[in-house]
Amino acid sequence: MKVSKLVLALVIVIIILAGLAAYFAYEAYFKPKPKIVTLTVIGPWSGPEMEAFLPALEEFEKRYPHIKVEYRIMRSEDLGMVLPAQFKAKTAIGDVMFIAWPWFVAEMAKKGHLLEITDIIDPADYWPREFVDVVTIDGRIYAVPYAAWVKPGFWYRKSFFKKHGLKPPANYEEFKGLLAKLKDILGPKRAIASGDGVGWPLSDVTEHFLIYFGGTELWKDLIAGKVDWTKDARVRKAFDELTALLKEGYFSDPADWTIRLTEWWEGKYGIYFMGNWIIGMVKKPEDLGLFPLPGIKGIVIGSDWIFIPKYTKYPEEAKLLVKFLAGPKGQVIYCNKAGKVPTNIKVKPEDMAPFVKEQVEALKGLAALGDLDDTIGGKFQKTFWDQLKRLWVHPEELEDVLAKIQEAYLETIKKKP
Amino acid sequence: MSKGDVMRTRTLILNILIFLLPSIILVSIFLIYPIFYTIYLSFIDIDGSPVGFENFRKTLFRSDVLDFKRIRGFPSVSPPYGALVHNVIWIAIHLPITTFLGLILAVLLRNVKGASIIKAIIFMGMIIPLVVSGIIIHFTFEKDTGIVNVFLGFLGIEPKSWLMYPETALYTLALSSVWIWTGFSMVVYSAGLEAIPKELYEAAEIDGTGPIQKFFYITLPLLKPVTITVVTMTILWELKIFDFVFSSTRGGPGGATNVLALQIYFDYFFTIPSRPDLACSLASILTLITLAVACIALKPVIKIAVRRYAV
Repeated sequence: MKVSKLVLALVIVIIILAGLAAYFAYEAYFKPKPKIVTLTVIGPWSGPEMEAFLPALEEFEKRYPHIKVEYRIMRSEDLGMVLPAQFKAKTAIGDVMFIAWPWFVAEMAKKGHLLEITDIIDPADYWPREFVDVVTIDGRIYAVPYAAWVKPGFWYRKSFFKKHGLKPPANYEEFKGLLAKLKDILGPKRAIASGDGVGWPLSDVTEHFLIYFGGTELWKDLIAGKVDWTKDARVRKAFDELTALLKEGYFSDPADWTIRLTEWWEGKYGIYFMGNWIIGMVKKPEDLGLFPLPGIKGIVIGSDWIFIPKYTKYPEEAKLLVKFLAGPKGQVIYCNKAGKVPTNIKVKPEDMAPFVKEQVEALKGLAALGDLDDTIGGKFQKTFWDQLKRLWVHPEELEDVLAKIQEAYLETIKKKP
Repeated sequence: MSKGDVMRTRTLILNILIFLLPSIILVSIFLIYPIFYTIYLSFIDIDGSPVGFENFRKTLFRSDVLDFKRIRGFPSVSPPYGALVHNVIWIAIHLPITTFLGLILAVLLRNVKGASIIKAIIFMGMIIPLVVSGIIIHFTFEKDTGIVNVFLGFLGIEPKSWLMYPETALYTLALSSVWIWTGFSMVVYSAGLEAIPKELYEAAEIDGTGPIQKFFYITLPLLKPVTITVVTMTILWELKIFDFVFSSTRGGPGGATNVLALQIYFDYFFTIPSRPDLACSLASILTLITLAVACIALKPVIKIAVRRYAV
């Protein structure tokens, strides 16, 4: 009896062990595994901005182990040049892409080169702001803004201002007084650091002056193509004030904007006009102070739009990635590190870093305006950037600079699709 | 001619054709067809309607290509003068310097021990991609971080961002591109020098000729075909220059360093919607200019070939 029980127990144990072995063998060798898919993401961020973005991709990979993501850097200016030719050949270098130009996305969507993402994006989840909204064509969604950048004004180091007894200006006269003091402290061409790249840092500060002196109405007129750059009194006022400051030697010569950022942070320059992305690029964000031109009514705001080319090999996986990145989690991971503002309104305030929350609050009282050169684009953008570089070193050539901008503006507005 | 000879000739022609066919196909697809298609596009507008020479008129008489207002003020008015003039200025600065430097370096380093190392260093400019060279130059001439201002400081010259000022940007670029191309002319001249028979120099020495006379009466005349090659290749390089300018200044500031190839690129890729009419007509003009240069430069070489064939 005892022997038979022992045998029975042994048989049961053997059966269990065999079952377990079979299960593990199946799991390890025979169970059909989901195919690992590698998505290529193309975005404009490098350096610290890229470091801020990669954790969002890592979080996605954790959630979807069968999808790997490779990130490649390509600026909007380069992507905008490469994609039309690629799309014509029905190919794409990436599965998910980011670009700062919604007009470009709309253009590509109209030509049928982009994948519709209406089924994964609810427009109600995003800002209703005019210049940072989802890109739709005939009610179909093709792109969604991912994290907003804001170009709020002049940045300064609190410690630098404290050391020299300086304070942010309360009006335009005080602003000019501050520049004079900075010139005394640092020398000529040191009060305001001027960044350069392909040209946008100069256009950003110029746009700030245009909004300050021309108001939001001028902005709308400029974007609508209703303004003559050489004759409009509001444009003249903004440029006259700007060139007066240039002639006074307050602005530095333009140089690579990241070099200027380092130099400004080291105290070689007083203030620096930049977007909120510099929060993620400095060593002590808590030392950052900010002021716009006092009393400004609007602020330039923009984003990088995510879209999927129709020619991706993995449309479903690409949609999963876009859905995640455009969602609250995908945005807040990046924004908290990069200092940008989530465009998804479902992001909870308690999930935002303090400096992100501050920006969200500050934006409430201001009109959000689209980046002028990004919105108009084309030849205008190139000419605007290029002519401003010239104005920066030769403010006395203002008339010719404005004439060239006007020429390109007319040509671009006239031919804009 | 016997029947056998005719057969042999036919077979020979057939063999030649068979060997040439792959090249003919590839050249036709990737060279001849694009050239003719570009020319075709220069004669139609964006909608595809034929417009005769209108695109050529439009492309030439715009300030991006020829800025007559500013050209009239030359040299007191600073660039931009238009892309075409910038190419000409580039040639005027770059061609004599690179040709002369290449020749001098080749002559000086001819019998020097370890010259190959020096030549290799000088040739580095040719090895580095032009895009990289452009970026190097962009930073080298920067006011606060560029090394050039440090050296100029020793000479008492005020530091400035040389590529940021329209009056200096074009000349700075043309001069800074000398190091890129000098390696080429030096190597070609070095090869040319090796081909000059040593007996000529020995005979001249017996006659009591000095080194300067030897240079002007033996070296220089015998290097004439090499000089033609160097000058032709250099002009063609200068006419087609693109990536170096694109990566260093993008044609700025204010179009002061814009060149023809860059303008073609801007017309085609930077204008929304694209302007193939303007881009292609400018490309055709550029092709015509380069072709003319090549024909003029190659004329003596062709003459020599014809003379040899006639003999």
